[in-house]
Amino acid sequence: MRPTRQQFEDALAGLRGPSLRYADLRFTATVEEHVRVRNGEVDTLASTLDRALGVRVLAGNGWGFATTSDLGEESIRATARRALEVAAASNLTVTGAVVLSEVEPRVASWQSRFRIDPWSIPLARKIDHLLQATEAMRGDPRIHQAAGDIASYRQEKIFASTDGSFIEQTTTEMGGGIEALAIEGDEFQRRTYPNPFGGDFQAAGWEFIEGLDLEAKGRQIRDEALALLRAPKAPAGRFDLIVGSSQLALQVHESCGHPTELDRAMGLEISLAGGSFLQPAMLGKFRYGSDLVTIVADATVPGSIGSFAFDDDGVAAQRFPLIDRGVFVDYLTGRDTAPAIGRKSNGTVRAESAARIPIIRMTNINLEPGTTPLDEIIADTKHGIFIDTNKSWSIDDLRLNFQFGCEVAWEIENGRLGRMLKNPIYGGTTPEFWRSCDAVGDRASWQIWGLPNCGKGDPMQTMRVAHGAPVARFRGVEMM
Amino acid sequence: MSGTLDDPEAIFTRALSAAAADEADAVLIVSDQNITRFANSAIHQNMSEISAELTLRVFAGGAMGVASTTSFGDDDIAHAASVAREAARHSVPIPGFAGLYKGGDDVSAAATFDAAVGGLPPAEKARSLRAVFDRGRELGIHFAGSYGNAATTVVCGNTHGVRRECRFTAAEATLIAIRGEESGYATAIDRHPIDVVALGEEAIGKATLHAGTHERIDGGAFDVILEPPAIAEVLEWMNMIAFSGQAYEDGSSFFAGNIGTQMLGSNFTLADDAVDPAFLPFPFDLEGLPKRRVELIERGIIRTPVVDKTWADRLHIAPTANAWALGSSEHGAALHLSVGAGDETREAMVRSTRRGIWVTRFNYVNGLLEPKTALMTGTTRDGTFLIRDGEVVARLPNLRWTQSMVDAFSNIRSLTPDRRRVGAWFNPFGGTLAPAMKIEGWQFDTANGQKVARS
Repeated sequence: MRPTRQQFEDALAGLRGPSLRYADLRFTATVEEHVRVRNGEVDTLASTLDRALGVRVLAGNGWGFATTSDLGEESIRATARRALEVAAASNLTVTGAVVLSEVEPRVASWQSRFRIDPWSIPLARKIDHLLQATEAMRGDPRIHQAAGDIASYRQEKIFASTDGSFIEQTTTEMGGGIEALAIEGDEFQRRTYPNPFGGDFQAAGWEFIEGLDLEAKGRQIRDEALALLRAPKAPAGRFDLIVGSSQLALQVHESCGHPTELDRAMGLEISLAGGSFLQPAMLGKFRYGSDLVTIVADATVPGSIGSFAFDDDGVAAQRFPLIDRGVFVDYLTGRDTAPAIGRKSNGTVRAESAARIPIIRMTNINLEPGTTPLDEIIADTKHGIFIDTNKSWSIDDLRLNFQFGCEVAWEIENGRLGRMLKNPIYGGTTPEFWRSCDAVGDRASWQIWGLPNCGKGDPMQTMRVAHGAPVARFRGVEMM
Repeated sequence: MSGTLDDPEAIFTRALSAAAADEADAVLIVSDQNITRFANSAIHQNMSEISAELTLRVFAGGAMGVASTTSFGDDDIAHAASVAREAARHSVPIPGFAGLYKGGDDVSAAATFDAAVGGLPPAEKARSLRAVFDRGRELGIHFAGSYGNAATTVVCGNTHGVRRECRFTAAEATLIAIRGEESGYATAIDRHPIDVVALGEEAIGKATLHAGTHERIDGGAFDVILEPPAIAEVLEWMNMIAFSGQAYEDGSSFFAGNIGTQMLGSNFTLADDAVDPAFLPFPFDLEGLPKRRVELIERGIIRTPVVDKTWADRLHIAPTANAWALGSSEHGAALHLSVGAGDETREAMVRSTRRGIWVTRFNYVNGLLEPKTALMTGTTRDGTFLIRDGEVVARLPNLRWTQSMVDAFSNIRSLTPDRRRVGAWFNPFGGTLAPAMKIEGWQFDTANGQKVARS
């Protein structure tokens, strides 16, 4: 069940009035399926279907938004009335004019690509796939948990606006991963593959899960989890740190993606997520990182969960630099925020579903690869630490002071990888960290990682974003 | 409310009828939620949501499948039931599971609904906020935050004839008062209306306290006085890493192997208490079991994790009525965390502190560093103050800390007699009720955390 185009147009027409400056309607139908096995048993088999309609209006200088899961005709009309009532209330506190950057009206249809439809694979096959993958991790009594996840996701979205746009988009995604949890006495260690918290995710079908080769990796992460139980603690002090691709992806997320969100910089998210140390006056001038650091926002990467054709303002997906050879040059923006810095929207406004207000979200925020192979970076490191796979993350409300814990590290002595180290933790401040980058791995070490759980907004919205990252080396990083 | 959501009981009954399984239970949650967000002393996001979600869980031969939907036509419900049955067919029996709750127990009659919250018009909220903003302008202060009100109906039950229904309200507001680099914070949640103007004054008080007087400290161990929002945030993490049935079963929780052991200070008692009328009462969990006060930690002694019924049966422990999502892989969460009060006022806490730090709230805590000791990290935010020789003497920048909560809750010096309710974005049913707490030897990291501007 989905509203017809005529229903959209009728609803938009019903909103028009002397104070209405802009309105859009969105519909989403989101289907998700999660299969989790644990210690040879099916732990979770859950399926959800969520349909929602959202009405957003700008009346005078006040925004109003109303949403419903009831898609009946009367409900749609009532939702539109509520949006106008809420906008009228917003006008009671306005202090300035809302300016929207221009957008070309578009009528378009887009679908992400996949080869094997996730829903064409029987549940039994998904379960068997995970049972086989996790079986290799079991057997040792110190392995308290051998678990695996496969998630399937599809969202149909329709966007219609008083600017004349009517855009249909469908995204299909899959994700999966495995984890081994080892305990011995008071020692607790977890290893995951390919990423923690459910694994890696792509805009793809079953072919992505097959390509992860979970079964072959199970034994390796079991052995690493067991080895970590008796590994020495990673040392404290300042070290040259080589950060692996998956951990660096999260570093990009927390210390570049979020602080370049213009709504944060304007103070609009202070109450929950916080602000940003990157202020508009710093655009084009601020030395964020070394010359080797170029970070782009690219919503056009094929097969990534941070990609789309149009954002939820109806603005086309774009690729643009945020950090250009170390210099801060742009923000992620939307139609209502970009004019504040004299620019047009670069199309990064999205909502988790039609039940939520679209806000600025990361797309694919990628650290561009360099030219140095990983083995050369290691060989060039006299005394350092290689660290990878995130375990814990924390950063202050302005996105300056961070601390990350990782699942595993290895010492580097005289250009060679040495002993495995447990519980590595590093920290620092964002510009100092990125300015200390003196080697960026080549494309062979670059990988895009799907993160389906980026939280922001109130009510909290969980957004699907991604980050491409190679390995990279940072000089003199503080380990704890 | 409008349209098909007017009769939750009818939707619920159709769902259970469609289950066609050995056993089934269902939960229907109908929400009328309104959240007003503001920044720079103006409303910039203002939303009204009327929505509903049905979750249906079926058991076949002791194996479980779960499906949920937000569409309630007969075909939609039949499809959800079919998906749940299909999942159960491919699952395996839960070891030890003795079946769904059979009922027969009374639930708490504590009042949960206040029409003054459920029917609060958007314009009235905006006018209250305008009064706060105007007061701030007199002092050169601007506000950011949110002000929400919600009326929710929960219907749950199962094929054994258990039926529960609760209408409840929640008013919640968070205000941050900002002047230059200095900020202050206040928050409240209640089943009844809240005084947003008074909250604004509280936030102003924190933002202007020792304005312009800034000091810096080296890292190290300090006595801290933590306000309830700071305590709430670390307890929310402990819910995941220590209190849940899953963390207990897999051994990652420090509760595992320590039931009956004195692990924490004898002045620390933590309960899950949804029947306290002065907290945020809610009468049952989503499996229909009546809520009661359950002590997780009694005077420092570990008593029980919180579990849903499947995990209570599996682990052979007494049910605690902590199912807040059917089929959740956490198998239990404490959504009404109640910390026992003490008998020392804040003023006395400060007077007895030679060198310490008073913390309004934490930011971005993460509890995954070392779950066995509940080692966590985070920063302070929106009001961090230096205490020297028994007096609050200056503002501090935001500070990073890394601290084991097992150690911290073993080193509580005192607690206040007054407690406050604190909400959480992920918790529509309850929150945390906590006093302020003085703890010895809280570990602050080296000075790199002090480059954060806003204090």
